[in-house]
Amino acid sequence: MTDKKKILLVDDDLDLLEQNKILIESKGYEVITANSSKEGWEQFRKSKPDAAVVDLIMEEHDSGFILCYRIKRDEHGKHIPVFILTSATYETGFKFSASTSEEKEWIKADAIINKPVVLDEFVQKLESFFELKEK
Amino acid sequence: MIEYKPKVLVVDDERALRTGVKRLLEMEDYEVTEAENGTEGIKLGTETEFDLAVIDLKMPDVDGIEVLKQIKKKFPHTVCYIATAYASYETAVEATRLGATGYIPKPFPPEELIQNLKEGYQTRLLYVEADKWRKEREERLLEVAFEKTRLNTIINSISDGVLVINKAGEAVLYNPAALKLLDLISIHIEEKIIGRLHPEIVGLINKILSKEEYQPSSYSSQIEMKLQGELFVEATASPVPHPDNSLAGVVVVIRNITALKKIEQLKSQFVSMVSHELKAPIAAVYGFLNLITDDKIKISNEQQKDYILRSQLRLDGLLKMVNDLLDISRMEMKTVRREIKQVCVEEIIKSVIELFQVEINKKGISVSLNCESDAACIKADYDEINRLFTNFISNAIKYNKENGSVSISISKSEDYLITEIKDTGIGLKPEEKKKLFSEFFRAKNELTKSISGTGLGLSIVKRIVDSYSGKIEVESEFGSGTTFRIFLPSSLKSV
Repeated sequence: MTDKKKILLVDDDLDLLEQNKILIESKGYEVITANSSKEGWEQFRKSKPDAAVVDLIMEEHDSGFILCYRIKRDEHGKHIPVFILTSATYETGFKFSASTSEEKEWIKADAIINKPVVLDEFVQKLESFFELKEK
Repeated sequence: MIEYKPKVLVVDDERALRTGVKRLLEMEDYEVTEAENGTEGIKLGTETEFDLAVIDLKMPDVDGIEVLKQIKKKFPHTVCYIATAYASYETAVEATRLGATGYIPKPFPPEELIQNLKEGYQTRLLYVEADKWRKEREERLLEVAFEKTRLNTIINSISDGVLVINKAGEAVLYNPAALKLLDLISIHIEEKIIGRLHPEIVGLINKILSKEEYQPSSYSSQIEMKLQGELFVEATASPVPHPDNSLAGVVVVIRNITALKKIEQLKSQFVSMVSHELKAPIAAVYGFLNLITDDKIKISNEQQKDYILRSQLRLDGLLKMVNDLLDISRMEMKTVRREIKQVCVEEIIKSVIELFQVEINKKGISVSLNCESDAACIKADYDEINRLFTNFISNAIKYNKENGSVSISISKSEDYLITEIKDTGIGLKPEEKKKLFSEFFRAKNELTKSISGTGLGLSIVKRIVDSYSGKIEVESEFGSGTTFRIFLPSSLKSV
């Protein structure tokens, strides 16, 4: 199949990266991985994915936010869904659902995905973004 | 009880008169002292305080007026009478002006003298009594004033802020600390201060003022007085009662809790960091198990085996981290049991190098050990010193490049045994150097991705060195290597 959607997965934990790759692939997506925000950015530029899933805490506690921000400012990036992967509320104390418009302005992620990834929920969310875009 | 005899000084140059008066007065229970002229009169009258004095006006040396003046000057409450045969209106006026109580014309009948002295003594008693009262009053006032100053000094010396306001919300009393902790430049007594206080403090005050009656309950609140955690205070408002137990006002005590808040913050940061670090390996193992058990996902037998091995590795790491955390906690609580004995650093280092021989060979690293001192020994706990050098040498190998080198040298200064461990590893960025010894810090970059560790090693090492009153120096250049110098006291001062 050539019309497989390409998903960029960025996580500094190699084990989790591989697990999530296998899970997402099992749902019929093509998965590209990167295990640092630097590599994530390079992969993004190279492979122009249809969606990006970025781990929040990598080199720094907000590496995921920063990568997210860069992708969303990119000409290609602003049209694709970008998810942040984390145990967000728990680890950062940041309640994404309750964030102010000002905070949403800065945090460009389209959704926060909680770890561990619940595959079906994740795919559902991803698909709803793709459908929205196609309309 | 011996009855007090009023003391009388009789100043007269006529001997007969003096003896006569003396005999008469002694019969009336007076104690009489004679002075035979003016000079002696002044001398005796100003030496001791007499209750009464009878002074002759005309004497050959000094006249009575002068004697009166001198005595009155020294003892204003000695009741003086001027006696003279040459009575004149002017001298009477002059004598009275100078403080004489009466004027006795000579010759005087005994009854008149006795009557005069009796009245005079009453006056004297009044004087003394009044004087006593006056003195007491003065002393009391002084005491009150002193108490007030003392109280003020005490209040002004308290490091907590104190602000007293009345029912109208006006400032009644405050100390310098209050200014600082309320973040105010000035407070004026009787100013309506309540309008300028932090709303939360006003809230506390109003809780008390709204009650009208005095109720002995206090209200506290923690307030961020200056943003960015610069000043945190705990304000406690308590009611102040009148003597009749009605409400007089409110006393607000403001305590600086900035340091406490910082510790609290550090603690929650640490807890959240620990949770995150512990959660990561659990999530990884959980994920692998899911992949293995999920029938919908197809993985090969080799993959399955690989995942189990990797799960084991993550669990090993987790176990190590939990052990490190327990060690830190033991060190913090100072429940570490130490066995202090002579420990040879050189031997420890040799054994550590041997321990890592496999890794050293694998990476092709050359290790050199140079010991300048014959007796590279210190008094310490063997396990702790072993752990210390295991950590440094393991880092020097782990973070080294292929075919790099580790040079270790031991030397001695007056106070310290100095061990230098120099590697040709990835080095540290300046900002990383600062964080090096904090918990869970690990240099995270392209070069360190594949290196495992708990991020607690150097933090433990730092605690060990600190506990021996030693120190660690770090020199590093990013990309070319790091040198650690570990200073351990050669004689044990504090453990």
